[in-house]
Amino acid sequence: MTNLERQLVHVLEERRVLSSPDALLAWECDGFTIHRSRPRAVVLPETTSEVQAVLRLLHAAEVPFVPRGAGTCLSGGPTARPDAVVVDLARMRKVLQISTDEMYAVVQPGVVNLDLTHAVKALGLHYAPDPSSQSVCTIGGNVAENAGGPHCCKYGMTQEHVLGATIVLSDGSLARLGGPAGPCGPGLVDLLGVFCGSEGTFGIATEITVRLSRDQEGVRTLLAAFPTMTAACRAVSDIVATGLLPAALEILDQATIRAVEASVYRAGYPADAAAVLLVELDGPLAVIAEEAAEVKVLFARHGASSSEEATDAKERKRLWQGRKGAFGAMGRLNTDLYVLDGVVPRTKLEEALTRIAAIGEKHGVLLTNVFHAGDGNLHPNISFDGRDPEQTARTVAAGREILQVCVDLGGSISGEHGIGSEKLDYVRMMYGESDLDVMARVRRVWNPDGRCNPDKVLPQRGACAEPAKWPRMVDKVLAAGDRR
Amino acid sequence: MKRALVPGSLVELEQMLHERPGPLRLVGSGSRQARLQEPGALPRLQLGKLSSIERLDAADQTCTVQCGVPRAELDAALLPHRLELPCAGSGTIGGLFAADPIGPAGPGEPSPRTLLLGLDGLLADGTPFRSGAKVVKSVAGFDIHRLLVGSGGRLFLATRLHLRLRPKPPATVWFQNGDLDEGAAIQLVQRLRHQPQAPRALQLQRDEQGRCEVRGRLGGRPAFIREQLRSLGLREAPAKWLDHLPPPLLGEVLSGNILPSTLATLLTAAPAGSTLLWHGGGRFELGTTSTGATDRVIEMLPELKVQALVIHGGNQRRGIGTLPDSGADRLMQGLKKALDPHGILI
Repeated sequence: MTNLERQLVHVLEERRVLSSPDALLAWECDGFTIHRSRPRAVVLPETTSEVQAVLRLLHAAEVPFVPRGAGTCLSGGPTARPDAVVVDLARMRKVLQISTDEMYAVVQPGVVNLDLTHAVKALGLHYAPDPSSQSVCTIGGNVAENAGGPHCCKYGMTQEHVLGATIVLSDGSLARLGGPAGPCGPGLVDLLGVFCGSEGTFGIATEITVRLSRDQEGVRTLLAAFPTMTAACRAVSDIVATGLLPAALEILDQATIRAVEASVYRAGYPADAAAVLLVELDGPLAVIAEEAAEVKVLFARHGASSSEEATDAKERKRLWQGRKGAFGAMGRLNTDLYVLDGVVPRTKLEEALTRIAAIGEKHGVLLTNVFHAGDGNLHPNISFDGRDPEQTARTVAAGREILQVCVDLGGSISGEHGIGSEKLDYVRMMYGESDLDVMARVRRVWNPDGRCNPDKVLPQRGACAEPAKWPRMVDKVLAAGDRR
Repeated sequence: MKRALVPGSLVELEQMLHERPGPLRLVGSGSRQARLQEPGALPRLQLGKLSSIERLDAADQTCTVQCGVPRAELDAALLPHRLELPCAGSGTIGGLFAADPIGPAGPGEPSPRTLLLGLDGLLADGTPFRSGAKVVKSVAGFDIHRLLVGSGGRLFLATRLHLRLRPKPPATVWFQNGDLDEGAAIQLVQRLRHQPQAPRALQLQRDEQGRCEVRGRLGGRPAFIREQLRSLGLREAPAKWLDHLPPPLLGEVLSGNILPSTLATLLTAAPAGSTLLWHGGGRFELGTTSTGATDRVIEMLPELKVQALVIHGGNQRRGIGTLPDSGADRLMQGLKKALDPHGILI
């Protein structure tokens, strides 16, 4: 045990400081399994003052650290380099306060997203952001990534639901931003807005005030099968163009449908459909009845081969089961899954998908698509065998080209997963040096010595790839791509 | 004599800043200058001529506008597409987003901080940069554009703003329930906030005599709105919305965020003759009768966990208020130093 670890044990107690190589295996990567790196140690604080004490020690010892929630991130955000200590917030899982009247809750960062909704369900409330991993991902992780989810089509991303936060900065000092009455007052810059989505590089939020939403009177969930992906995308465009604001608009392609139907997440989706479109409407009963009728007309206009509507909560759960379980179902296709996260204008979905399919063919990778059509947020998924360097290299190369397509169409390289370590080399697709310089200046204000989640979000100046983050074979592919 | 710099194009603006003009004050339409400290003889950089709507993608419900586009002009351009910028406020778009003077107009409604998708900006030395994206969803890189909101243009200039739009509701009805006492007004506001489909805009205004009016705008399907009016006992009325409290003749105006449950305590404790305007998203403006009365309210605010500052009053009084959190203040000062090290933008 090093001197630092002894000091950490003194602050926390022995069982909450892990440093043996075997014990650290679980912290080797997040959902982006291509990048693996075991941290120096893991600490498990339970309170704001413990986080402060840990960060003060690390500050004095000039040791980098990485905040981590449930590790469900898909971009390598919480994967620590070998000299860093992971500050795992999973034990900070208390709901500290719930205000029914004012519709907010104060939670610790390790509270699981869905657990918060369960905690307030009896009060007729819920927490709106619902990433696919909501049954395990944490609110703190959601804030770090500015997480989305199917229902952010109508209700917005995590940032829109965070009202305040107590943040421990890298030297152990505190900043309190916003509060139940609002995230920023008159004359105050929106610091909380820039903190959300900073991917754990600005500090650690230890108490988070979130807005709770009132449950709607009714929910109608509809599913339509289409003979072509084009028809499904056009139906989405028309739904948006009519002025309807569905709570969710999700598309699954045929390969995804088949994977789902062959898995434990089987939802009864028509296996011969080229695409299924899941539409959820919520609001007053009379209103959503009218809206559902309009959506059905649009389904028919775009040649839906079949459609169905959930008639009760059980049916609704079934229709969502396939969508929510889609990523899990892809585990059947190969050992690893690379989940991409590009965004295009909603009017460019068809074109993007056509070009993505061509990229998949070119690289000979198994590509499936499940995406938030209402936001233009694509999740092309590449199933591959991570033990095979050549397959991995093709997967990464295809991924890079796909994200370039999203940028070329006027979109973004990430809609909700973040840059992490995965997309460090792709950030320049969107931003020039002066853009990155301004971002770096802002990061230095929050994280002056760069010890808070280092080597994430911003590429090092002049680097065309981040060799330390990638397996050697992937380096070669990226280098070849740069030469092209 | 107040000198004005008036760039006619983005190129000209960039050039002006490169020439290091020294400290200056950014001005859009000038509608909110009275809320800030007087810049004295320092030049005003007037951005009103940068007023082109560069992109309106009605199908994607997004647009890109130059900072000097008047709000009314954008609203007019959106009308034929049945779209709206769903936040309150007037002046230029750049000024509105930089000041965020109102916050959300109604409970859970969008505000400038949630409608700004990205921007093209200039640092005070003329260095151009971009942040965010033009699409409705992006988490690529740090959201520097969020720092525009509330900055009053003191960190950097936003030259182009990428905005999220929303379809106009099929029907809109304004309501106005007046002559209420404070208790009844707050009760009505709470009831409205708890509706599954709360008003898109909501205000509570109290006059010097303590009489209150609750007003707002419902949006949605016609039949639903009619039913909502009926069941909540709301009185349909012509559109009425105040962005700001009419400034009192002698006193000052304090502004901050407050929860409705705390509003009653604030009103009880506020000196006699105080006026109030509360927006449904939580922002309030309290009009006092004297500086002494303002100071007494400011003293009381920390107990109510409310932060507020003077937005209307004598030049030296504007901007004073409750002490900000020391950590947040340190971050704010650090950002100013990092983005505008020579203190050009005041």
